[in-house]
Amino acid sequence: MTQQKLTSQFLDVTYVNNKTGDEIVALKNINLSIEDGEFICIVGPSGCGKTTFLNTVMGFIKPSNGTILLDDTKIEGPGRDRSMVFQSPNLLPWRSVLDNVMYGIELQKRVSKETKALALQYIELVGLKGFEKSYPHELSGGMQQRVNLARALSVEPSLLLLDEPFSALDAQTREFMQKELLRIWSQTRKTSIFITHQIDEAVYLADRVFVFGARPGHLVEDIKIELERPRELKVKRDARFTEYVDRIWDLIEKESSKQGFS
Amino acid sequence: MSKEEAIPMKNETSEQKKVNRPKKISKSQKNFMISVVSVLAFLIFWEIISYLQIINPLFISSPIGIIQAAGILFTDVSFWTNIRVSAYEFAVGFLLAIIIGIPMGIFAGWNHTFNSIINPFVSALYVTPKVALLPIIIIAFGIGVASKIVIVFLMAFFPIVMSATKAMSTLDQNLIKTARSFTATEFQIFKTIALPSTVPFLLNGIRLGLGQGLIAIVVGEMYASTAGIGYQLTNAGQNLKTAEMFVGVIVIAGTGVVLTGLVGLIEKRFSSWKPE
Repeated sequence: MTQQKLTSQFLDVTYVNNKTGDEIVALKNINLSIEDGEFICIVGPSGCGKTTFLNTVMGFIKPSNGTILLDDTKIEGPGRDRSMVFQSPNLLPWRSVLDNVMYGIELQKRVSKETKALALQYIELVGLKGFEKSYPHELSGGMQQRVNLARALSVEPSLLLLDEPFSALDAQTREFMQKELLRIWSQTRKTSIFITHQIDEAVYLADRVFVFGARPGHLVEDIKIELERPRELKVKRDARFTEYVDRIWDLIEKESSKQGFS
Repeated sequence: MSKEEAIPMKNETSEQKKVNRPKKISKSQKNFMISVVSVLAFLIFWEIISYLQIINPLFISSPIGIIQAAGILFTDVSFWTNIRVSAYEFAVGFLLAIIIGIPMGIFAGWNHTFNSIINPFVSALYVTPKVALLPIIIIAFGIGVASKIVIVFLMAFFPIVMSATKAMSTLDQNLIKTARSFTATEFQIFKTIALPSTVPFLLNGIRLGLGQGLIAIVVGEMYASTAGIGYQLTNAGQNLKTAEMFVGVIVIAGTGVVLTGLVGLIEKRFSSWKPE
C-alpha cells in the first residue's frame, strides 16, 4: 500500500480585499491526497486559485477552514519539510551560485561540511558544475532557474513545490528544462507539486494532473497520466499525449465559459 | 644611474610595447587625455587673462600666483593649524552623522511606526537650508569647534538618513518571500537581504553627505570662528590676498575629490559582483 504524503481536507481559503473589505473565496472545499513520490501538476484558468493552493501548502496563507496534512502533521506555516521553486529565480545578486544554493541551508542554520557537499552535489545534478563561483547576472534565465531548483532541493524537503518555474523562459529553453526537470526528479523521486498554465507541460511532467476551476477555486478533475517513464520530449507527439491535452483543454474551456470568459 | 641614461631606456621599453600592441588607446584613456588637455587649456587661459590684466588679477589671481602662495602657506604653521581644526570639526560631525544617521534611517525603513514618527521632521529638515540655523547654533555652541561640529552634523545627517530609509523601502519582496519559504527569521532577512541591498544607497547617502559637510565647514567658519580653513579663506579674501584664498578653496575641493574617491573605492569593493 502506498503512503499518503499530503492530504487536503475540506480546505477553504478566504481573502479579505484590502480596498473594498469584501470577502473573496479563493478556494472552496478542496479534498485531495498525494502519494509519496508522486509528481502532481495543477492546471486551471487564471483565478482558479492554483497558486493560492500552493501558497497554502507552503504555509504562507492560513486556511479559513479545513486542514492540510503533510506526513500526518498539520501545516501551520513555512517549515523545513517543504521548499519552493519560484516563478522568478529570486537569487541574491551579490552571492555566487554556491552561496545562493547554500542560502536555504544557511537560513535553516544547518551549515556544515555535509550540507555544503550536498549543495555541490545538487549543483552538479542540475547541470551547473563549474559555475559554482559565478554570479546570477552571468547566467542565462534557464541557468538561474536551475540554481533556484538546486536551492530548493538542497534543503532536502519532504515535499517540493514549484510555482510556474518555466513560465518566464522562451519556448525552446522551457521544453529543454522540462526534460531536465524529469531527469533530476527521476534521480530524487521527490514528491512534487508543480503549478503551470501550460497543459502540455503538465501532461508531460505529471503522474497526475489536477484540473482546477475558478470562482471559487475548486478541484474539477483528477486525471492520472499513464504514460510510461522515462519520458522523452517526443512523447508529446504521441496520440495518447494529445488525448490527455485535449481532454484537459475541454475541461478548462468548460470552466472558463461558465464564467463567460470565452 | 644618471637621468640621461634612464630616459632613453624608458623610451625603448615603451617603443617595444608599441610594437607588440600597435596604437591601441582605450576609450577611457582617450577620455582621460581629453580631460587633462581641457584642464591645462583652462589654466593657460586663466594665466593669460590674468597676465594681460583683461580681468583685474586682484579678483581672479593666477595659477602661478596661487602655486607661489601655496608654497608660502604650506611652510606656515598657522595654515596647518587651520587645516587641523577644520579636519577635526569635519571628522567628528560627519562620523556622528553616519553613526546616528545610518541606523536611524535603516530602522525607519524597517519599522513603519518609527518612520511615521520621524518622517515629518526628516522630510522638513532635509529641504531646510541648515545654514539658516547658524546664528542660533553659534549662540548656543559658541564660535569654537562645537558649533562647527553641529552644523556639519546637521548638513550631512539628512541625506544619509533619507538614503538609508529609501534603501530599505525598495527591498525586493520576492527575495523576502524566498527567505520566508526557508523559515527565515526577521533578523535573518534583515542580515542577508536588507543590509546587503542597502549598501549602494548608503554609500550614495554618504557621498551626498560629504558634499554637504564640506559646505557646512566653510560656511560655518566664515560666519563666525577663530580658526579653520574657512576662517583662513575669509581672512585672505577680505585682505585681498586672492591667491591665498584660492589655495584654501583648492584644499577644500581637493579634500572633496579625495573623500568621494574613497567612497567610490568602497563602492567598488562592495559591488564586485555587479555586471560591468
